[in-house]
Amino acid sequence: MSVVILDKLCKRYGTSQYAVDHVDLHIRDGEFMVLLGPSGCGKSTTLRMVAGLETISAGTLSIDGRVVNNVAAKDRDIAMVFQSYALYPHMSVGENLAFGLRRRKVNAAEIERRVKEAADILGLGALLARKPSALSGGQRQRVALGRAMVREPMVFLFDEPLSNLDAALRVNTRNELIKQHHRLGSTMIYVTHDQVEAMTMGTRICVMNGGKVAQIGAPLEVYWEPADTFVARFLGSPPMNLFTAPLRGGPDGFLLDEGPFHAPLIRWSAAALAPYADRKITFGVRAEDLHLDPAAAGEGLRGRIRGKAFAIEPLGAETLVVLETPLGECTARLPRNVTVRPGDEVDLAFAASAAYLFDVETGRAIPGERTAQGALAAARGLQ
Amino acid sequence: MALFSMLGARDPGATPLPRLFARGGLALVIGAYTIYTLGPFLWLASMSVRTTGEISLDHYAWPSPFHWEQFRIAWVDSNFATYFWNSTLVVVGAVAVVTLVGAAAAHALARYRFKGNRLIYAVLFSSIIFPPQITLISLYQILVDYNLYNSLLGLTLVYISLQLPLTVYLLEGFFARIPQDLFDAAKMDGYGDIEIFRRIVLPIGMPAIATTLILNFIQLWNEFLFAVVLITDPDKRTLPIGIRAFMGDHFQDIGMIAAGVMISVVPVILAYIFFSEKLIRGMTAGAVK
Repeated sequence: MSVVILDKLCKRYGTSQYAVDHVDLHIRDGEFMVLLGPSGCGKSTTLRMVAGLETISAGTLSIDGRVVNNVAAKDRDIAMVFQSYALYPHMSVGENLAFGLRRRKVNAAEIERRVKEAADILGLGALLARKPSALSGGQRQRVALGRAMVREPMVFLFDEPLSNLDAALRVNTRNELIKQHHRLGSTMIYVTHDQVEAMTMGTRICVMNGGKVAQIGAPLEVYWEPADTFVARFLGSPPMNLFTAPLRGGPDGFLLDEGPFHAPLIRWSAAALAPYADRKITFGVRAEDLHLDPAAAGEGLRGRIRGKAFAIEPLGAETLVVLETPLGECTARLPRNVTVRPGDEVDLAFAASAAYLFDVETGRAIPGERTAQGALAAARGLQ
Repeated sequence: MALFSMLGARDPGATPLPRLFARGGLALVIGAYTIYTLGPFLWLASMSVRTTGEISLDHYAWPSPFHWEQFRIAWVDSNFATYFWNSTLVVVGAVAVVTLVGAAAAHALARYRFKGNRLIYAVLFSSIIFPPQITLISLYQILVDYNLYNSLLGLTLVYISLQLPLTVYLLEGFFARIPQDLFDAAKMDGYGDIEIFRRIVLPIGMPAIATTLILNFIQLWNEFLFAVVLITDPDKRTLPIGIRAFMGDHFQDIGMIAAGVMISVVPVILAYIFFSEKLIRGMTAGAVK
């Protein structure tokens, strides 16, 4: 059992603002928890507090029911993989792997067994005598992972471990990490600013912004049910399209209807939207939910948006089309064979059930029925 | 060839004339500089096996015969064995303390945030700026007050205080560039501050430590001013003062001075050969990745 609980955890440097602001996080045993956010959001500071490399200004950190606020890093039974790998340059790969075990007075035969096992699993067997300077980036990263593995800790921490790798190697190492998580079944906390890493690796994601937790949930749940405009824009590439328009009442209920933009709002009850009547509201729709062919948007009620295409970005598998509309820019992810040219007037349709609404002032999502994908993701996340 | 000419490209097989000139010029400059630096040393070496009388007749003549006995006379009859031992004791002791204390202080200044960190650094730095000679009289008085005047221990302490600031300054710059992640990784691996210093900082900082070690060694081995003021007892002289004994007001025994200098220079050359690779790595650290 390696449950990590952060209870109103805070970090403050001097009298400045909180770098980490009352973070509540319950990480389950064996979970792969990803802390995701832009640089400066406090994710690495949070991780370093868990590691014991930063002091905790306020709140409680407990591992397996034991409060460890004042326990030294070396006594927390935690291993960490750093962004820079942090391999000791004057030691060979084998010595790097064994360094932590020697300190813990593990007997020589056991050290040899664990080093050999980790080296075999990570394909480092032939590199044990080499110095880190003679290794490639991917090999160094595997050594860093091996150094954590041989310790057999209660919790693994990863601080953006793939950032220094090239794109192809990043995919391989990502898969390697997922494999090792399945094999070890250990609790892992992983910090990244890369949403693809978060989506593909995490059991759950904790999105952070400005030192606070913006949302915690299963990757697809967070993607399809963003808690606020920050999460909606941060997850997804291209980010969710957001427009601000007045909410109007119609004979069939509330809708947004502003020039070339029309959106029936079917996910929300009249009572939920009543406070926003005749006020501005933020509307969101994901790029992949916009279609040239209205039929592709589904059978139910549809919304539409019209604009002039000004940028066409063919990506091979698909094409991104950026429209200029009176409400702002709007990006659509369309099929690769799309024939839109810059300057063309384009009509896009979307399923009314794919729409999102956010409070203009707070940015918080206005609760409604779940989207179909959100409901599916939530169900999977709870399994 | 014709194709290269047509395209205006260089023939890859031929060495371009300007490059040949550049190489020749570089060889010429290096050769001239070698003669400029090595010449006096070779001249000194030749004088060390000639008597002063022979040198007076012809300053630059080839030794004939070689008076190797000059080294024996210097070593045995002129007490150079004692001077050599005194120098070794003082310099090795001072360099050892300066290196250990300097490295520890540099590590503390580079790595730990504590109140007064930069103030200590500024004080150390300011003591490098001022010429050490201004402390001579006060140091003399302090050594007299503490019964350390005319003692090898007193001279060793003075040497430590002279070389420590520069050593800390040089090492701090190097240690500050060791990534913080290495310290954090060692902490996670279970090591405490002293162990991290011993197992991480010292081995990684070895090129810089070797640099300060050899610079301090050469500087102190050749140090004359403080030794001549703070040591008067003939049995406690260091090598530079021992060599000075061959100089009288009216007569200078050039042959014996040369033999003495040759004896004193051997450890410096040995130290340089031993540490040269690390010295170069230390001096170019950060210049290449």
